[in-house]
Amino acid sequence: MSILQLTPEEMAALWLSAKVALFCTLLILIPGVLLGWVLARKRFFGKALLDSVVHLPLVLPPVVPGFLLLLLFGNQGVLGKWLQEAFGISIAFTWMGAVVASAIMALPLMVRSARLAVSQVDRGLELAAQSLGAHPVRVFFSITLPLALPGILTGMVLAFSRSLGEFGATITFVGNIEGETRTLPLAIYTYTQIPGGDVPALRLVVLSLLLAFAALYFSNVMEQRALRRVGSGDDRA
Amino acid sequence: MIELDFALRRGEFATRVNVTLNDRVTGVFGPSGAGKTTLLGTLAGLVKPDAGRLVLNGECLLDTERGIDLPLYKRRIGMVFQDSRLFPHLTVSRNLEYGYHRLTRGQRRFSLAQIVELLELGALLLQKPHQLSGGQRQRVALGRALLSSPRLLLLDEPMASLDVRLKMQILPFMQRVRDEIDIPMLYVSHAIDEVLQLTSRMLVLEQGHVIGYGDFVDVMRDTQVLALARSLGMENVLQVELLSHHPAEGYSVAQLSTQRLFIPLSAGGVGERITISTAASNIALAREPVSGISIQNQLPGTLGQMRQVDHRMLVDVVLDANTLVAEVSAKAIQDLALSPGMKVHALIKTQALHLYGQVL
Repeated sequence: MSILQLTPEEMAALWLSAKVALFCTLLILIPGVLLGWVLARKRFFGKALLDSVVHLPLVLPPVVPGFLLLLLFGNQGVLGKWLQEAFGISIAFTWMGAVVASAIMALPLMVRSARLAVSQVDRGLELAAQSLGAHPVRVFFSITLPLALPGILTGMVLAFSRSLGEFGATITFVGNIEGETRTLPLAIYTYTQIPGGDVPALRLVVLSLLLAFAALYFSNVMEQRALRRVGSGDDRA
Repeated sequence: MIELDFALRRGEFATRVNVTLNDRVTGVFGPSGAGKTTLLGTLAGLVKPDAGRLVLNGECLLDTERGIDLPLYKRRIGMVFQDSRLFPHLTVSRNLEYGYHRLTRGQRRFSLAQIVELLELGALLLQKPHQLSGGQRQRVALGRALLSSPRLLLLDEPMASLDVRLKMQILPFMQRVRDEIDIPMLYVSHAIDEVLQLTSRMLVLEQGHVIGYGDFVDVMRDTQVLALARSLGMENVLQVELLSHHPAEGYSVAQLSTQRLFIPLSAGGVGERITISTAASNIALAREPVSGISIQNQLPGTLGQMRQVDHRMLVDVVLDANTLVAEVSAKAIQDLALSPGMKVHALIKTQALHLYGQVL
């Protein structure tokens, strides 16, 4: 077997990582943009608290949110019990749980990007749109969102990459089950723990690097395209 | 008709406005910080006054006592801003349609084609805002506001960021809108020349208060406005009729009621009425006609009221149909023994007269 050939276990880890990261990004897209918008544009009681709570995963050891998730969504946890009884689903120790764990960890990155992007949209444009008779909701979708899109795309890539790299919260909450929750970082970790695992570990490390590069490249291309739309280029499309 | 009655305080700045505007085009004029933008913002719904009432053509937009406050997007008041505020991600035509699309056919007062033709936007429709010049952008912004069929159009220093050449290019479009579009307009500017090209009806603000409203020539003569007029060198604003032009010598002759006045060369046609101004400090007084002097204008008149404004003595010189304000020192009053009723001559250099409505 060639040194570049991936074993079925390694392939499984790769696809699982991609799946988890994709679902994670989609899961936090809407809440992330809304939270970013609220934090950028609104003033309300408890804003500082909300800001702190959203950002908490950035400064906590990842094992802490992982453990809290386990308490909440475990079979004996409040939400876990309710999910089990109402829908018959259990997310602890499943790939869906891995999505939730990395979503919690990636959300602050999404929110930060969206917040920055929204706050850089000229408030004057939104007011001009309203003076033309557009309801604030329409203004959000027709003016704010398109203009904030480059920043939101950056946030999505950051969230995707963060999810690809998620380790602590995932292993605490959903364990390290091959084919179910063993994502790339967990697989690398597993290989480093067994004799002769250095070569497959290295292969997965290279793979992780390639994935990260691809994500960054994709985000750059998308961002350039979005920037051209708002007038930094000269396409007439 | 626009009834404005509101009070607002933000830190050091306090404004109290109570005025009813009846003109189709009203210039809102005053030094920066006078409250011009606050006035527009309050009308549009961008600024919430502490207390007040706004009524536009009989419809109440705001009444703090009755708890009425129509949100910005329901007021149907169009705005054109200094920085145009075109949507950068939309083409010119999508910008123009932004408010227009939302209206039902019955609500639309103009067609897209009509406005495109009026403002000559046809060649720009597919471009993005960043491809336009400053003047083109303001034309699009004007068209966009008009197409939203507003009940009132607010223009907030729409030409302030343009150089003289671009101003000259967009001014005819502003005048076209004024003449052909039946929407009341408030035109805010700190540049009086600009306002006068569109209207002579003026609301003058200073430090948050209305200090004058009416025809420019009358308003500037108002005692309350005098201090502001003085700071702008516009104590004397006169309307004259052009009689003849002398391009070789660089002057024109104008008629001020029964008297002749030598003024700088004007671009206006013979017989046209134009507005001119000069500062009180540009007018000297003599008890007798003076000979052997370069000053061309020597207008005989009678001394009227003498008053002190900001440590300066201002004296009225009553001509046959106009009154000039001249600034003299207290010493000159003593030396010449000036007193009301005395016959004097007002001396004004030709080049000290400023012409309006000619060049920006």
